[in-house]
Amino acid sequence: MDLRHRNHVRVKGHGPSTLVFSHGFGCNQAMWNYLAPHFLERFHVVLYDLVGAGLSDLSAFDKTKYSSLDGYARDLNEIVDAYAEGPVILVGHSVSAMIGTLADRFAPGRIAAHVMIGPSPRYIDTEDYVGGFQRDDIEDLLDTLDSNYLGWSSAMAPVIMGAPTQPALSTELTESFCRTEPDIARQFARVTFLSDNRHDVQGLATPVLILQSSDDLIAPVAVGEYLHAVMPNSTYRLVDNVGHCPHMSAPQACAAAMDAFLAPWAAADA
Amino acid sequence: MRSWRRGQLPMPDSLFDSAACALAVTREDGTILRVNPRLSDWLGFSAAELQGRRFQDLLTMGGRIFYQTHLAPMLRMHGSVTEVKLDIRHCAGHKVTVLLNANQRQQPDGVVYDLALFGTTDRDKYERELLNARKLAEALLQEKTATELALQQAQAELSEAYAIAQRRALFAEQMVAIVSHDLKNPLTAIRMASDFLQRGERTAKERQLLGHIGQSSERAQRMIADLLDFTQARVGQGITIKAVPLDLHNVIQHAVDELRVAFPAATLVHHAEGLGQACLDADRVQQIIGNLVANSVAYGDLLQPITVTSRLGDNACAVAVHNHGPAIPESLLAGLFEPMTRGTDQGSDVRSVGLGLYIVRELARVHGGDVAVSSCAMAGTTFTVMF
Repeated sequence: MDLRHRNHVRVKGHGPSTLVFSHGFGCNQAMWNYLAPHFLERFHVVLYDLVGAGLSDLSAFDKTKYSSLDGYARDLNEIVDAYAEGPVILVGHSVSAMIGTLADRFAPGRIAAHVMIGPSPRYIDTEDYVGGFQRDDIEDLLDTLDSNYLGWSSAMAPVIMGAPTQPALSTELTESFCRTEPDIARQFARVTFLSDNRHDVQGLATPVLILQSSDDLIAPVAVGEYLHAVMPNSTYRLVDNVGHCPHMSAPQACAAAMDAFLAPWAAADA
Repeated sequence: MRSWRRGQLPMPDSLFDSAACALAVTREDGTILRVNPRLSDWLGFSAAELQGRRFQDLLTMGGRIFYQTHLAPMLRMHGSVTEVKLDIRHCAGHKVTVLLNANQRQQPDGVVYDLALFGTTDRDKYERELLNARKLAEALLQEKTATELALQQAQAELSEAYAIAQRRALFAEQMVAIVSHDLKNPLTAIRMASDFLQRGERTAKERQLLGHIGQSSERAQRMIADLLDFTQARVGQGITIKAVPLDLHNVIQHAVDELRVAFPAATLVHHAEGLGQACLDADRVQQIIGNLVANSVAYGDLLQPITVTSRLGDNACAVAVHNHGPAIPESLLAGLFEPMTRGTDQGSDVRSVGLGLYIVRELARVHGGDVAVSSCAMAGTTFTVMF
């Protein structure tokens, strides 16, 4: 299996430890363009696309394997084994925070720390848990995804035409930023929003930095606080930000919080 | 609204207010700064009610998630989105379906987004119909694929079962061949011993018992011969013959004489018709007559004679065996010459393993001929072998 091709793996930077950036539902590794460059001087940096997203090998999308987050977690461990150098810190946005948690559970001790941006172990409310959503909301999301299948390629065309001049590879990535095969998007949406990883985060002893947006519909503050309470070795940082992507809309605040947390693993400033 | 003279372009403000689509300007976080009357009109909220709210909060829940996971990152990455279909909640609660185009614009005090929304309710209905048709087609395709897969599996299982059955049948036939062959020697020893005993002085009772031994071992030998021929025909190289020119009437007469001894309860009559030569295997012709007569003895009316006819003509010759008695049931006729077929399940001691007629047909065929049967209650039953 050619991982580089399967997950469109890119390796950058220099340092004694490795940051593996894992993007969330809906986009690809280009979402790290605002945050990842900050760490290239002090870390070995690995970026990749989840299978089915961005420039990953769509033919590798096995419906059975990716019918739960486990398949993605096994992929992540393979990437860690193949590309990481020194201690490994997973930086996961949204659903990738849970993929990282599962990867940690599958290979205890392999992951030195987690940075979780907008994480949520479960999106749907239960009697004693607030995830922020009802089951019907998720069906409504699938409906919205469906509604945008038909115009999908034409919606992308003008954007591609208007893309500013950039290095070829990075242009390709930004072009494919939110483009996904409809069937794959549908299944990934289900797997993401119907998963329940509360049991997996419970008692996770690995050091974790939770980066919580102050106003996030997808991962509300209550969910971030829940995670902080159940993970004994977690650090909770509230980032003043509206929306689910603080690493895109508030990258400096995210970088500052991460610098403090990552200090034990970073190379000395050049 | 301001007025303007003919030929003069409208002022930007009035263009915004009177545009044929809904327009809005928001901050980067979605907070609405300004809307045109058409948006107020479509959504049932006044401009004052809309200003200060976030655009994404007007959407249905699915749309809000989509906004967070797709639209907001795309706007930040590309500075624009086009033709995104969203459902907005009207103040009365129903959905208004729109297509959204959005563009990023740099202002001295920060970034704003210009939004243009087009009502698309009717097209949305049409697109949903297309989508449903596609889903239906996909479901049907999936069903078809699943059915084909199941069929393939069933076929594979069937041919596997068939192969197993064939191996078993071959094994059984080989077993029959081995056992039949091995039974020949002890049977020959029994016959030789009973022949030897018959030569001396015997009481009437002893003579009767020795007769039983002789007849029974002859019957056993015929059955073994049938079994060996059967296995030869089925799993071996086929039955072989040595055809030589012979006097058919003479051969049949000789055979009938022998059969009178073997079946003392029956009355056997021989008819010879026509003149000429035949080229046949004499032993095999005797076997054919033997099997057919044994059949007649088993199923025919023994109070009336069994007639064996040998017939010679210019180009062909035939032998026939006729008996009176009940007709062969219609249901049995089709499979009469297949192995293991019996006329009835009667427990008579004349019954054999059911190979007699099968071997008659094989022997007829190996001579280049065939066998036919006619049977009715009035005329009785006739088997005719044509060479």
